[in-house]
Amino acid sequence: MTAYETVIGLEVHVELATKSKIFCSCTNGSDAEPNTHVCPACCGMPGMLPVANRQVINLGMTAGMMLNCHINRTTTFDKKSYYYPDLPASYQTTQWFAPIAVNGYVTIQTEDGPKDIRVKQIHMEEDAGKLVHDNWSYTSLVDFNRTSVPLIEIVSQPDLRSADEVVAYLERLRSLLRFAKVSGARMEKGTMRADVNLSVRPAGSTELGVRTEMKNMASIAAIRRAIEYETARHIDAIENGTEELVQETRGWNDDAGKSFAMRNKETAGDYRYFPDPNIMPIVIDDEWYDNIHASLPELPEVKREHYVESVGLSDYDADMLTQSRAFCDCFEGAMAAGAAPKEAANWIITNCAGVLNKRGMTSDELPVPGSALGQLIGLVGDGKVSNANGKRLLETLFDLDAQGESIPEDMAAFAEAEGLLNSSDTGALEAVVAAVIAADPETAQAYRDGREKALNPLFGACMKQLKGKCDTQVLRNLLIEELKK
Amino acid sequence: MDRETLLDLEHLNQLSLTPQEQDEMLAFFAAREADWETLAQIDTENVERMVHVRPMVNVLREDVASQPFSREDLLAQAPESMDGYWQVPQILQ
Repeated sequence: MTAYETVIGLEVHVELATKSKIFCSCTNGSDAEPNTHVCPACCGMPGMLPVANRQVINLGMTAGMMLNCHINRTTTFDKKSYYYPDLPASYQTTQWFAPIAVNGYVTIQTEDGPKDIRVKQIHMEEDAGKLVHDNWSYTSLVDFNRTSVPLIEIVSQPDLRSADEVVAYLERLRSLLRFAKVSGARMEKGTMRADVNLSVRPAGSTELGVRTEMKNMASIAAIRRAIEYETARHIDAIENGTEELVQETRGWNDDAGKSFAMRNKETAGDYRYFPDPNIMPIVIDDEWYDNIHASLPELPEVKREHYVESVGLSDYDADMLTQSRAFCDCFEGAMAAGAAPKEAANWIITNCAGVLNKRGMTSDELPVPGSALGQLIGLVGDGKVSNANGKRLLETLFDLDAQGESIPEDMAAFAEAEGLLNSSDTGALEAVVAAVIAADPETAQAYRDGREKALNPLFGACMKQLKGKCDTQVLRNLLIEELKK
Repeated sequence: MDRETLLDLEHLNQLSLTPQEQDEMLAFFAAREADWETLAQIDTENVERMVHVRPMVNVLREDVASQPFSREDLLAQAPESMDGYWQVPQILQ
């Protein structure tokens, strides 16, 4: 029986985390009413003049450096012609002749150890709009909000050999791009999508088999299933002649678990690429290059090692924190504000993650700055804010961010303004303790007679009157003192 | 330019040429190829690639979002619209 080898290359589209679109100032944002983020430029109206967004070039360069690429110091945009209603200008502005980055690699972990997957190039381009086909039998509807949203396309060499390697590559890409704040890279939101190019050949052969491409795959699980299906289909065709394999673009129906032919594969010539005369070349000088290079983050695995070896976190805590750049930033900020590492890690992994989860947000969306969290942990540790009220304050910070308001810099003042600061007035505490004992002499007597558990209802009654705003240890000591009198 | 490439271009550009027009086109392209061969004789070693006819570079804007146009203004340009969408003839069967 012949052994076969699957040869896979990926084209991964990633939406860039900019405020505005690539060639106009319309908002880059999803979840808006249709056609509310549009202007004559992104609607392809005659006479419009595109102007490139500097931040797109910054993020393109950042991605290139994260993926160990050579950055083309002169980079240009080109027109790729195709006609479809989601592309109002009838061409896509992309990069063909001088893309921003070339010749890089991404290292993945495989069963046989680390493996470098070569990156052929990264180019910057605009996205197309969205078409709504459903429900109308005679018409299609177009939403141009996504038109001209900035993308990078990361093109790998055909170095991947299995679904496992593809998944490892995508997860690594996602982690690197999120860490560098290039993109949220969320497949479930469509901000990261992959085209899978696949062929099969007898093991040991150096010739490539017939290649098929599955476009716009938006879930890692579906990509795994599609690769397994497509590999089996190719082998069946080669061994049993069940069908003639042709170079084509195929779609993937995840519900049916099958791929289906869409159209014959176009060749580059079909798109009639030519330099876009409206967009001037971009020349990256040493200063610009060096600034971007200096802004690159530490890699997650480097941070992880640092957290375990130097900071003293457990492997588990370090793993949890380094899943997200926002978690790492918050952790380091909290430590800088004086929080103990273990405390800071616990607050992020338990309390912050809990609120994120409850609100359907990802770890990268953590809105709490490290300095605020560090102060908050300090207030709780010093007994100035109770643990429960500390968590309440944390929720309030999420609320502020959701309302578009800034996070206060002085957390003690904020806790006071929110009325969540513990009372430091011992006289007031003593008065409450005395009143509670006077109101329930039987329970007080039970405690004095040696029933220790009788302290709990008295303590609870004090906390109720104080609305939780006290240092619980101070209250407990006062209560015991008063009962012993 | 061979006949097969010409037929491909004809298809891409949605043209329908008569056999006589095809012959004329092939002759036209053969003449252009001769022009290119003449150009190829020019010594371009040590000549930097020209990336644009204009001398300007780095015409960029900062990443600031604004929304100066309303949906209503833009949809007013559409031959047909529905529920805030541009309406086009059906694309998929």
